[in-house]
Amino acid sequence: MSTLGLNHQGLVYDTDEQFLMTTVPFCRDGLDRDDAVLAVTTTANIDHLRDSLGGDADRIEFVDSAVWYDAPGRTLAAYHRYVTERSDRRIRIIGEPVWEGRDALEAAEWTRYESVINLAFADSAAWIVCPYDARVVPVAVVDDARRTHPDLVDGPVTEFSPAYVAPDLFDGGIRGSTESERDHEPVLRFTEDLAAVRRFVATVAASLGVSPERVGSLVMAVNEVASNALEHGGGSGRITLHRAGHRIVCDVTDDSPNATVDWFAGYLPPDPAQPRGHGLWVARQLTEFLQIHPTATGTTVRLHHRAA
Amino acid sequence: MTTTTARERQVRDIGPGDHACLSFADDAEQRRVVTEYVATGVANAERVLYFADRQPPSAVLGWLEAAGVDTGEAVARGRLSVVTADDSYLATGRFDSGAMVDALRREARDSTAAGFDGLRVCGDMGWALRGIPGAEHLEEYERAVDAVFREERASAICQYDARLFTPDRLAALDGCHRSSVEQRPLHSGALLKLVPTIRSGRHGLRVVGTVDNRTHRHFNAALGTARGWPGDLVVDMSALTFIDVAGLRALADTATRLGAGRHLRIEHLALALCDVVRMVGWDRTPGLSLVPDGATT
Repeated sequence: MSTLGLNHQGLVYDTDEQFLMTTVPFCRDGLDRDDAVLAVTTTANIDHLRDSLGGDADRIEFVDSAVWYDAPGRTLAAYHRYVTERSDRRIRIIGEPVWEGRDALEAAEWTRYESVINLAFADSAAWIVCPYDARVVPVAVVDDARRTHPDLVDGPVTEFSPAYVAPDLFDGGIRGSTESERDHEPVLRFTEDLAAVRRFVATVAASLGVSPERVGSLVMAVNEVASNALEHGGGSGRITLHRAGHRIVCDVTDDSPNATVDWFAGYLPPDPAQPRGHGLWVARQLTEFLQIHPTATGTTVRLHHRAA
Repeated sequence: MTTTTARERQVRDIGPGDHACLSFADDAEQRRVVTEYVATGVANAERVLYFADRQPPSAVLGWLEAAGVDTGEAVARGRLSVVTADDSYLATGRFDSGAMVDALRREARDSTAAGFDGLRVCGDMGWALRGIPGAEHLEEYERAVDAVFREERASAICQYDARLFTPDRLAALDGCHRSSVEQRPLHSGALLKLVPTIRSGRHGLRVVGTVDNRTHRHFNAALGTARGWPGDLVVDMSALTFIDVAGLRALADTATRLGAGRHLRIEHLALALCDVVRMVGWDRTPGLSLVPDGATT
């Protein structure tokens, strides 16, 4: 294994023993080399790892997946912070996302998150193994794991994943419903008055049952997306909001046709010192899912925001 | 809103019942406040006592003349008196705190009795740094004299030069007053007002309103001005309505550009906005410190 740059490997397992056959040597080897080792996995797997590693487990940081895999933007930022704070060390991470109980949108966005990891940490001295429990994870998700991980690991064997698709070629569009106008859906056209945008979003979101705290984060996120529309997207745009189950869907559409914008914009950690380009990075952390969809008439940024 | 914010009053709002501290760091600011306060008093038919120190009485009278006050008439009719502290209450060569409090109370009552609509006192307190006996009781005096302005029809602005008094002394003296005089805003618009402050001896900026795409240039310009002030800077966000990511970046950038040994302290920033600062990693900017809203400062 190279020690420079990212190793991002999928591990598909269907027994606890198979999980441990890969992860225990991975941890031990890392500790021997004085790497920082972080294991984010299910509580059951944390117990298995602790049992197998004995005293070595004390030198590993364990986090419950259900806590860590909160929203893709926040999770990616948390990994980024973990890596940044240990920039003088090599990092080993076991990262097992939560797949059970995810709806279609969630599964698609967490899959994209796995894809963008390849770009976001491309230059990090990090080795990430992502376990997939084939006993409970849907088949489609396991198939996607082979598309988002350059390598597949199983015990002592590591091989290239033939199905791997580089992030820039990965499908980043909005899946499922793409209709942008609904009957009676509140619409606001905006230009430079973003105070009007913030008032509109706050008022409509509250009327759709969003809690005050969640209104605040939505307003902040939409303000950044709308700022980008003014700056890069033709200077005007429109906003719609509607409720979809336990989430609010907010579309911000600018007036720049056929824009060349990456679906993963805002996922790549910006240097704090750079003079611009922090807005989408923040927006992705403030909301649950953020999708970017360029079309012939304008780019739509769709925010899926938890109501409570 | 915090008590710190509530203490700051615009000079035009200071009148009977007030005892305010003016911390100033340039002569133009002193002139602006003094002129407005004294001229308003004369216009309101109050009696005005002015105790000069670093600026001679002739200079103060010149400021008032330039502002349209007929000082000759006001002085002749006893509505205005401009003298140095040295020639009046320090004429004995020492500062007698108790006697001064009594004298001011008498002046207030006499003014009302003489048909004035109260007394207005304004003094440059620079003499307190010249080793005059009794000056060590200045804080005690400032606390005691507050009762005069509470109980009589009278008000005062006490002027302290932030270039001369140490930050700790200035903070203590400021704390003996019920209010502070708000400085002239660097920017005052419908969306955003940016007010220079001197608190605990530190220069700073109070941000009132909204920092977004329409006000960035004013915010950036004010931060540029503030970078030129000496020492650490404090940015008070207690009256902030909204700030976007670019605005927060301007604060981090200002902290970086202050250079080694100087700090930018952001106070009363809403917790959700402190989170945004952390999301980008600006909380690790050298020289930047965040005091979230609700934390003790």
